[in-house]
Amino acid sequence: MQENGSPFSDFGEEVVRAENLKKIFALSRKQQRLDKTGQTHKVAVSGLSFSAYRGEIYGLLGPNGAGKTTTLRILSTLIKPDGGDAFVCGHSVRREAQAVRDSIGFMTSELKLEGFFTPSYLFDFFGSLHGVDKATLAARKKELFGRFGIDRFAEVRIKDLSTGMLQKVSLVIAIVHDPAVVIFDEPTNGLDVLTAKVVTDFLLELKAMGKSILLSTHIFSLVEKLCDRVGIIIDGRMAADGTLASVCGGMPLEERFFEIYRSVKGDTL
Amino acid sequence: MKLLALMKKEFARFFRDPRLILSMLLPGILIYIIYSVIGTAVAPEPAAYAFKVYLSGESAVTQTIEQTVTLNEGWSLEYTQAEDVAAARAEVEAGEATALLVFSDNFDGTLGSGATAELYYNSEDSASAAFATLAGGVLDAYGRSFALTATDFAQTENFAAQMMAGLLPFLIVVFVFSSCMSVTLESVAGEKERGTLATILVTSARRWDIALGKVLPLACVSLIGAASSFLGVALSMPQLMGVSIDVAVSGIGFTGYLMLFLLIFSFVPLIVAAIAIVSTLSRSVKEASGYTSVVMILMMVLSLVTTFVGGIGDWVVAVPVLNAVSAMQGVLMGNMVLWQCLVSFALNIAYAALLVFLIGRMLSSERIMFGK
Repeated sequence: MQENGSPFSDFGEEVVRAENLKKIFALSRKQQRLDKTGQTHKVAVSGLSFSAYRGEIYGLLGPNGAGKTTTLRILSTLIKPDGGDAFVCGHSVRREAQAVRDSIGFMTSELKLEGFFTPSYLFDFFGSLHGVDKATLAARKKELFGRFGIDRFAEVRIKDLSTGMLQKVSLVIAIVHDPAVVIFDEPTNGLDVLTAKVVTDFLLELKAMGKSILLSTHIFSLVEKLCDRVGIIIDGRMAADGTLASVCGGMPLEERFFEIYRSVKGDTL
Repeated sequence: MKLLALMKKEFARFFRDPRLILSMLLPGILIYIIYSVIGTAVAPEPAAYAFKVYLSGESAVTQTIEQTVTLNEGWSLEYTQAEDVAAARAEVEAGEATALLVFSDNFDGTLGSGATAELYYNSEDSASAAFATLAGGVLDAYGRSFALTATDFAQTENFAAQMMAGLLPFLIVVFVFSSCMSVTLESVAGEKERGTLATILVTSARRWDIALGKVLPLACVSLIGAASSFLGVALSMPQLMGVSIDVAVSGIGFTGYLMLFLLIFSFVPLIVAAIAIVSTLSRSVKEASGYTSVVMILMMVLSLVTTFVGGIGDWVVAVPVLNAVSAMQGVLMGNMVLWQCLVSFALNIAYAALLVFLIGRMLSSERIMFGK
């Protein structure tokens, strides 16, 4: 995707490209009652297109239910799109799911680690599942555990770790295979301020390491602090997409967001 | 490599938790205790049998039978040459003699070339039944080089023996099912509920590897429970039959024990895969537990069918688990049908493989894995 008519080279190599993504979910009767709707299906994502580039942090910003998580789940191959396609490092999520999974590290609060095992064991386990050889695994463990202060807790069971340390372990395990792209769904959701800082610092560090990061959030300050580019999703559609500066147009992000929101949904919030 | 990593994790989960190991060993211990108690209660004090056995013809195997008899404390054997075979048979039928053994002419010299042996007994008489079990076992172990015909004069079937042989496989199925359930529910539905299964799904491991990486180790772990149950059965059989372990082993025979083990071995992965399917379809351990209980009841009913419904045809070999129960009953009642045992074994393994394939498909289904 071109930003304000600029060529791709201005943003580096394209690592993620979503093309006209569409996802429809069937609504259960219970869900229909909760939503007070008679509709049997809900369009979660409708014709969504955007690109993210190497070495950048791209933020998908939108209210709850806008389709952010669904989009990230499609990109991480956990679910399949009903229409369109997405490419991660050139691999189609539809046709080359395994190659996509090799290229990404996916983090979401819904993905958990087994409390019975230790960080060291799980790091090795997930490394093996990603096909990382033993020598590389040992070197990465030493480096990452040391950098994030996990080494002192390497043999403590996951269930006995503090929330902050658990978050660090989850982050480190998500990138055990040194993926080119890190996808992070609501990175600071439900975290206390200290743990949230651990996560944001970690993301900045990943960026410094040359990784491409795609995150979803509804927190304006997080986008302003971390993201190079932002896509605003409302009702499954891309309402605005570009560099933070171009989307904001000189306005504070929060103000600009509600301006866009009103233009899409009308005056009601 | 990835399959190996997945399997190692499942094994580590089990072998690092002593409570899980104990839960696997308990079934066998329970079977041993229950059947030993039943055996002690049902069987009278070890009887001091004085067997009176008629012989027609000669064979060195009679000495082996005599030696085996004397291994049991208080048992003695007296052979009498039958002058009149018909009269001897009548005595056995009337319960006045223990048994009649008829060997063809030059039995030992014609082994492998037409030698025949006939055993007449009356299982209504406990001494005759015990001798028949023992002699049958010894003759069986003597080789397959002659044709053995056993005739039981009992007018009524030995109901207690029928019940025991019928219920034993049923109990094995129940105990093995419980073992499989305790590990599989936790490992599949538990991981799904806690979100740890999804963490594995975003790695580049193939869905088949993940499915197989679950079922194989869980089946191996459950086999510990199955082996425990098997040992419980094997060790409690002598008490149940009121005979020494040597006699019990010779009664069922090596082939019989091997078939029992193979049959148990075959339905363990099948049950694990079936519970794994239910667990994969469920959203929580609680839900899976509810559905699995229904499967267990269904399996118990099927297992009991062969005990109380007579005249079930050969089609039973096609029914998973039920085929193993039916075949095990055959082994325990001394009516082992080898082809039935082997076909049941092969089919159960094939059914298990099919279920693993289905689990792999389910892991790819977003509706099953992430449906609310």
